[in-house]
Amino acid sequence: MLATTRTFSLLGIEVREVHVEVDVCGYGLKTFSLVGLPDTAVRESRERVRAALENSGFQYPGHRITANLAPADLPKAGPSFDLAIAAGLLAASRQLPAERLAGTVLAGELALDGSIRPVRGTLAMAEAARGLGARAIVVPAANGPEAALVQGLRVVPLERLEQLRQVGTDAEPPAPQPSELSLNGAGHGAPDLADLRGQPYLRDALEIAAAGGHSMLIIGPPGAGKSLAARRLPSILPPLSRSDAMEVLRVASACGLLVRGGLAVRRPFRAPHHTISTAGLVGGGSPPRPGEVTLAHRGVLFLDELGEFSREALEALRQPLEEGSVAITRARGAVELPCRFMLVAASNPCPCGRGERSGECECRPGSARRYRAKLSGALADRVDIAVAVERPSAKEMGATRGVDSAGIRARVVAARERQERRLGSGRCNADMDLAELRGGALLTADARRTVARGHARLGLSGRGYDRVLRVSRTIADLAGAERIEAEHVARAISLRRRGSE
Amino acid sequence: MKPREGRAVWRMGRGDPAYPGALLNLADEAPGVLFGCGSKRLAGELDPERTVTIVGSRHPSAYGLEVAQELGHLLAAAGLVVVSGMALGIDAAAHRGALAANGATVAVLGGGPDVIYPRSERQLYERIVANGAVMSEVPPGTRPGPGCFPRRNRIMAALATMTVVVEAAQPSGSLITAELAYKLGREVGAVPGRVTSSVARGTNGLLADGAAVIRDAQDVLDRLLGVGVKTARRDGPPLEAELARVADAVGCGATTPDAVALEAGIAPHEAAVALARLELLGYVCVDGAGRYMRTALTTPGEGCRTTLES
Repeated sequence: MLATTRTFSLLGIEVREVHVEVDVCGYGLKTFSLVGLPDTAVRESRERVRAALENSGFQYPGHRITANLAPADLPKAGPSFDLAIAAGLLAASRQLPAERLAGTVLAGELALDGSIRPVRGTLAMAEAARGLGARAIVVPAANGPEAALVQGLRVVPLERLEQLRQVGTDAEPPAPQPSELSLNGAGHGAPDLADLRGQPYLRDALEIAAAGGHSMLIIGPPGAGKSLAARRLPSILPPLSRSDAMEVLRVASACGLLVRGGLAVRRPFRAPHHTISTAGLVGGGSPPRPGEVTLAHRGVLFLDELGEFSREALEALRQPLEEGSVAITRARGAVELPCRFMLVAASNPCPCGRGERSGECECRPGSARRYRAKLSGALADRVDIAVAVERPSAKEMGATRGVDSAGIRARVVAARERQERRLGSGRCNADMDLAELRGGALLTADARRTVARGHARLGLSGRGYDRVLRVSRTIADLAGAERIEAEHVARAISLRRRGSE
Repeated sequence: MKPREGRAVWRMGRGDPAYPGALLNLADEAPGVLFGCGSKRLAGELDPERTVTIVGSRHPSAYGLEVAQELGHLLAAAGLVVVSGMALGIDAAAHRGALAANGATVAVLGGGPDVIYPRSERQLYERIVANGAVMSEVPPGTRPGPGCFPRRNRIMAALATMTVVVEAAQPSGSLITAELAYKLGREVGAVPGRVTSSVARGTNGLLADGAAVIRDAQDVLDRLLGVGVKTARRDGPPLEAELARVADAVGCGATTPDAVALEAGIAPHEAAVALARLELLGYVCVDGAGRYMRTALTTPGEGCRTTLES
């Protein structure tokens, strides 16, 4: 007899509907064949399903079993098909009434003892199930809370395979409590900018970067507080909107990060080590999996020791930075992954860390230049702000605690509101195009003179000029000014990236 | 590194009337033949009294670079010929300064006159050839090898009455040049540096041994031409009180906006603005690690020499 169940296949962070057709033949040899481009994990599903059925008080049908995962040309990967295959097998062997599964989508990995293990991408699956008009989605109990974020869909969390008997009856396990999204990412426990002692210049730079969504480069010797500051950047970024938060959760769900972490929504902070591969950074593999840039979506990607990252990895950041998404194209189709993040890069001034022209640097003449060349190249166009830091003096370390993140965040939020009024919702100065940049740059006469002098005196290139204008706009927004004043331009000039363009 | 086709190379033998007389002071060590590119006349008419050799580290601090460029600029503007070795760092900065002032400059190379070394200085080489001269004692096409540069140094030392060392580690090629100059009876000057800086150890050592103290181009001009014969100063535009305070703070060694704010007693963001303004006016510049420092530009009224009253 034939039975069909429905599940989803995860591709990047999106899902595709998959029909599981199970045919149990009343005669023939005892075999179980699984077709429809399964990868190894899916093919091994047969062993898990058999053991789980037998250990859950069900019967494993004694004759020929064929399971087909349709569409047959879509490669399937991972263990999330187990539950749907088991359910199809039960319906096809008449151990479960097939009509109870009608309108129900299932996803879950089986353990040999019949318990159900969490899977990746449940949130996207629940959203897709609602889109398909399904009545209910059956998910592993551990994934219940994330699935329950989707309204208008019955979520059935299961602990064990034998609970399948209850699905579609009055004894169905109750839906998990709909989770409340806490959107205020700062929260307690998150690192706070008050921890940064002294360094008012760096604080100002962080505030400006956060206000305009500008990517920044922090240059300074080891121990100057570069990573300490970068880690605290998310705490001064504006709180996530509900739709942004859902995007963050969708990525986290697809990467299996929600099962352990719970649902407190924060702007992500990702700090991959410099030995990371290109695929690890921007995503890749087959099937395509999100990389660090996608995990940092709506948050901060921190590249410490920028000069140590491989050239290929940094080059690969170009498209994600420019387009806010990564397209991973494989022979069997393309996947698009979102990655709108703020880039914060930190670097020593030269390989030895003392600074090439400090008079104490021990690097060979060419090596410092090659090191710096990495800072330009691929990332150059997107890094609006560069700030040099030194180790704080004892006097500064003893200074009183600075303003905490909440105070700075309030100013950042106000500045973002000004930007949204000008540019439209959800946008910030960092993604202004040239026309908007020139149009939005109402310079006072004094500011115009300052810019012109920068052109002549500092040899600002065209792009360097645009970046100064962009950052000036943000500084003016922070100051609540309609027009960009000379002082704003001067500050932007002090934060410009130096060196060759 | 093939010699480029078609580059005009001149030569002059020791008996040639155009041969720079200063080199004859080297006696037996004087090069038999000189090869060169660019202006043969400039090379031949070098008057040691109106020539200064500037040498220094290939790995200088931003301070050293700034001083070398400024010396090159002001001395060339004062009509002196700036001789150096076109090496990375101080040498290149001195040439650049002289070229920026539309002055005369001569590079003495270790390899053949048509062999550009270091290759990254190709642009500088072309500019020197176009506006000055390069010369060498080895034939065209010769690549520089070990031993070339110490031998080249004696030519640089002989060409000018004064050799100025801007920054040098100890030991270093620049100190060899200084020693050769001293042995030839030429004057040796050194730019003082921070006592803790390794690239200032050689120059501070020279000063301790009695070299002339070179604080600016004026010191060189006074030594070469006599006190007060020619003045070399560059005054910037006048500064408002706050900017002047910030400029002083940078001059006192405050290198970051935070340190400047503390030193000048103003808010950090005001310090950032003031530093940017000073940078636009040319009073301060920034090194590769983002540290601020003063340029040689003086404020009107500042920098007048105070002398001890007797």
